[in-house]
Amino acid sequence: MKRCIVLGKPNVGKTLLVLRLADYMKVKDVDITFQDPGGAKYSRKYPMDIAVRELVGALPHQTKCLQSVSIEFRAGKGKKTVELMDTTGLIEQIHDDPLTRKAMAQTLSALRGAQIIIHIIDAHLAGHEDAVSDPTERDLDMQLAAFAGPRGGYCIVANKMDLPGAKRGLARIRRLFTGYKVLPVSAATGEGLKEVRRHVLRNL
Amino acid sequence: MPAFERRNPNLVLVGLEEGRLSPVEAIQALRTSSDSHTKKREIETESLASSEWRLNEALTELDSLIGLTAVKALVRELVAYIRIQRIREMRQLASEALVLHMVFSGNPGTGKTTCARLMGKLFREMGVLEKGHLVERERADLVGEYIGHTAQKTRDQIKKALGGILFIDEAYSLATGGEKDFGKESISTLIKAMEDNKDRFIVILAGYREEMAKFIQSNPGIRSRFPIHIEFPDYTVEELMLIADLMLKKRDYRLDLAARARLEAHLSRNLGSNSEHSGNARLVRNIIERAIRRQALRLVDRKQLTREELMLIRREDIEGNHEAVHRFG
Ligand SMILES: Nc1nc2c(ncn2[C@@H]2O[C@H](COP(=O)(O)OP(=O)(O)O)[C@@H](O)[C@H]2O)c(=O)[nH]1
Ligand SMILES: [Mg+2]
Repeated sequence: MKRCIVLGKPNVGKTLLVLRLADYMKVKDVDITFQDPGGAKYSRKYPMDIAVRELVGALPHQTKCLQSVSIEFRAGKGKKTVELMDTTGLIEQIHDDPLTRKAMAQTLSALRGAQIIIHIIDAHLAGHEDAVSDPTERDLDMQLAAFAGPRGGYCIVANKMDLPGAKRGLARIRRLFTGYKVLPVSAATGEGLKEVRRHVLRNL
Repeated sequence: MPAFERRNPNLVLVGLEEGRLSPVEAIQALRTSSDSHTKKREIETESLASSEWRLNEALTELDSLIGLTAVKALVRELVAYIRIQRIREMRQLASEALVLHMVFSGNPGTGKTTCARLMGKLFREMGVLEKGHLVERERADLVGEYIGHTAQKTRDQIKKALGGILFIDEAYSLATGGEKDFGKESISTLIKAMEDNKDRFIVILAGYREEMAKFIQSNPGIRSRFPIHIEFPDYTVEELMLIADLMLKKRDYRLDLAARARLEAHLSRNLGSNSEHSGNARLVRNIIERAIRRQALRLVDRKQLTREELMLIRREDIEGNHEAVHRFG
């Protein structure tokens, strides 16, 4: 089974993208496996709308551990199962809460074992950031791309394309991350999910 | 960042968990780690937690060894030192290269091999060594019969030890053969391999205290490359008794009071005697194993045996004379 990790800063729409992709792939009830940083595992089945309501949040760090969903992809004649992993958002600084730090370590650990990597950047936010001051070496997205990019199966999703200013954000992301595959998506409207699906399929 | 560090990104993640590294610093450190360079996408089956768990496991095992106070303290120091050097590196502070080749001196049966094996485990969990296995060798395994043969033999053994520890027992015997002896060739081959494979294996030279001291003194090439010296003192009688109890307990036996007294008297006598076997755990093992056989002989013709009788080692099962020791030593 291939593992596809979805990661990025907090609140960029990782959880929503995972759920919307599952929905797009015709998953009715999402069976989510929560994997505690300590090693404990449990799973819960949600109807899609409830999953979105309960797991997607306006506040950062709503996702506190690895949450994975299995999705079947039709590949050629057969079927292939992909484990889609939603993760705890990564920040630049040292976080105060030990559990969140643990969860972030878990994100990086899972990244090392993933064959497909979806790195989400908030295009809406990028469009509103001061275009003059480009991110430094210490920017999390820059570091993440430099680390994950060469590993293969990697793409950047510029999310929240439905929001104003996101087009400008997308252009900025394309400029800052030249050489990487960048897919414009709106997890909210479903725009671009087809391309995300194709990216996963290509790397199976 | 030294090569071995690149093999254990788990440490980077521990740093992140413990709040010593920010996620950005952690990603930077992981980036320089080899698995991203080589594009080798190893499946990360073992979690961080399990590596930490096994490290603690090995430390607990070390602590559970009887005696060896100085060794235990030194290992703790080393573990702490390695960690801090790593963190300093990740935070871009000057850090020293880790040179962990060691000299173990002490009589046979004082715990040298056991400690070496445990260190292998510890170093593996800390990412210092890739595998952490122990390759135990002596002169005959390293030295050959004709010119060129020795270098080949020594290299072969080193190859087996890559990723782990090469433990050379009675190492001084490599230097005792005089000018023409091939032992010298073995030493120079070893030193060259240590240079060529920095960080890929650890060499432990072991042997009697005086002989080792002389050996190290007269070989500057070795002296400068083995910064860690650990002495393994003889066990005291109390420690030997604890060792005996532990050995018996593991096998579901125990000593009755008279047997205890006899064993203790025997060990004290031996300790004073300054014989080759004094103060070592091998002596205890031999006596215990002999006692178990003697107990069996005592019981074998009896019809009714209680559980208690099957477990009990009595005074007459403990052999008191030196003969037994030498026969099975
Ligand atoms: N408008 C818009 N909002 C989004 C989109 N994706 C996510 N969001 C919102 O962004 C917030 C964070 O989403 P969530 O999936 O929890 O982010 P995560 O922390 O990365 O998992 C929520 O309020 C979502 O409703 C998008 O494509 N468009
Ligand atoms: Mg989330």
